[in-house]
Amino acid sequence: MASLEVEDLLRRLTPQVLGAVVRRYGHFDLAEDATQEALLAAATQWPRDGLPHDPRAWLVTVAARRLTDLLRAEQARRRREEIVAQWALTEIEQPGADQDRPADGDDTLVLLLMCCHPSLSMASAIALTLRAVGGLSVTEIARALLTSEQTITRRITRAKQSIKNSGVPFALPAGDAGRLDAVLRVLYLIFNEGYASTVGTQLLRVDLAEEAIRLTRTLHALLPGDSEVDGLLALMLLVHARHRARTRADGSLIPMAEQDRGLWDRTAIEEGVALVTAALPLGPTGPYQLQAAIAALHDEAGSAQATDWAQIAALYGVLLRLDDNPVVALNHAVAVSMVAGPRAGLTLLQGLETDSRMTTSRRFHAVRAHLLEQSGDQAAALAAYQTAARCATNTQQQRYLNQQVARLQNPT
Amino acid sequence: MAVKYMILTFASQQDYQAMTGQGSSQPVWTQEDYAALGAFMDAFNKELLDSGELVETRGLSTPVHSRRVRLQEGVPVVTDGPYAESEEVLAGYWVVECASFDRATEIASRLANCPGPDHLRARAYADVRPIDEHQPDFEG
Repeated sequence: MASLEVEDLLRRLTPQVLGAVVRRYGHFDLAEDATQEALLAAATQWPRDGLPHDPRAWLVTVAARRLTDLLRAEQARRRREEIVAQWALTEIEQPGADQDRPADGDDTLVLLLMCCHPSLSMASAIALTLRAVGGLSVTEIARALLTSEQTITRRITRAKQSIKNSGVPFALPAGDAGRLDAVLRVLYLIFNEGYASTVGTQLLRVDLAEEAIRLTRTLHALLPGDSEVDGLLALMLLVHARHRARTRADGSLIPMAEQDRGLWDRTAIEEGVALVTAALPLGPTGPYQLQAAIAALHDEAGSAQATDWAQIAALYGVLLRLDDNPVVALNHAVAVSMVAGPRAGLTLLQGLETDSRMTTSRRFHAVRAHLLEQSGDQAAALAAYQTAARCATNTQQQRYLNQQVARLQNPT
Repeated sequence: MAVKYMILTFASQQDYQAMTGQGSSQPVWTQEDYAALGAFMDAFNKELLDSGELVETRGLSTPVHSRRVRLQEGVPVVTDGPYAESEEVLAGYWVVECASFDRATEIASRLANCPGPDHLRARAYADVRPIDEHQPDFEG
C-alpha cells in the first residue's frame, strides 16, 4: 500500500482509535501520546508489510499497550518523587468483547467536544483539535499556523493538562448547546486561519481551509439534521468555492466584484446551496445558516450587478439582530448601498463612526471611501482612502489602498 | 548540537511606504517589484523548511503602527509611532536551527539575492545573532 494512502487512512482512524482508548482506559493526556505512537508505528510498518486484517483494532491494541507502558513509567516516577505515597496502577481492563461499545462516530463526537471545551483557550483548542481529531502532526500544525513546533507542543500539553484537571468525563454532555457552539467556533476559526498569510508565506501552509471542511463534514455526518452544523459546512463550501479566483498570479487579492466567476467551483457551490436550502426550514435559524445564505446569493449571481442585494441586505439585517457586531453592520451598510444607493450606505456608516472598534478599522474606512467616491465626493473619498491605508497592517492591502489614493490624486 | 540563530532584517517607515505604493521621498515599487519580493521569500522559506532548518519566520507591519511602552515615574506610558520616518527598525526575522554560526551566516547571505529597487539593495543588510538558550551541561 502506498504511504500516501496509509497516511490518509491513519488520519481518518485517528479520532476513532483515540476515542476507543480513552473510553476504555481514561487518561486522555497519556492516551493521546500513546495513540500518536501507535500511528507512528503504523506509518512505518504498514507501507512495508501491508495492512493488518483490522487496522483499527491493531492500532487500538498497540496504543493500549503503549498506554500501559506510559502509566507504569508515570507510576515509577511518582514513587521516586514520593509525591503520592500510596499510588496503585489502576488495573487496565483488557480490550475485548465490549458489547456496549458505542459506534465509532460517537467517540469522534465526544473527542471533538472535549478538544473544543470552552475552558480551553482558542489557540489550544485549535491545536488539540487538529492533532487529536484531524490527525495532523505537530510539524504540520506548526507549519499551518505559521508558528514553531515548540509553541504547538506547549499549547497541546497545556490543553491536555486542563482537560485532565477539569475532570471532564469522556461522555456526551447532556443538553448543553454551548458545547456544540464551541466546536463550531473552533472549526470556523481553523477555516479562517487557512486564509491568513503574509508576504513570503504563501507556499508554507497545509491547507487549513480544506482540513476545516473535512472536520466539519465529519461532524455533519455525526449530527445529521443540526441546522447550524449544516449551515457551517455550507458556509465553508460556499466561501471556499471562490478560492481559485481570489488571488492574482503575483499573490495580490482580487475583490469579489472583479473576480473571474468562471473559476468558482460549481460543485462546491451546488453542495453548499443544497445544504443551506435544506437547513433553513429546520430551524432555529442561526448565524452560520444566515452567512451561508448570503454566500449562496453571491455564488449564484452571474456578476456583482446581477446579485440579489435586496435579499442580502435583509439577511444582514436579521444577522445584525442576532449579533450586534460592527463587521456585520459594515456588510449590512454595503448591501444597503447596492440597493438604495451610496448615500443610504453612508447614513448607516455614520452610526458606526463613534464605535471604537471601527475608528482604526481599515475595512471601515475603505468601505466609506468607496461609498463617498460613488456619491461623487472625491475629496472626502481621497481622505478616507488615506486613512484606510494608514490603518492597514498588511502590505498587500496597503498597496491596494494606496493605488486608490494615487488614482484619485491623478485622475486620467 | 544544533543551535538556534535569529536572522534580522531592517527597514524604515519611508522604505515601507515606497514598498506599499505610497508617495514619499523614494520612488514607489511597481507591482512587479512587489511580486518578485513575494516570490523570492516564498522560495527562500520553502528551501529552509525543506532542509528542516526553519523554526519560525515573520514579517512585521509598517513601523508607524508600533507602540512603545516605558516607565515614567514608575508608571508604564505608551507612545504611538515612536520612530523617525528614516529610522531603520526591525522589519522581519527568521529563527533557524542549524549546525553552525557559519551555516546561519550562509543562509543570511542568500538574502543578498532578494530583489528590490537598486537604491534599497545598496544599503540593505541582515544581522545574524545566536539565541541565548541555556542547555544543562550534562546534556551537552
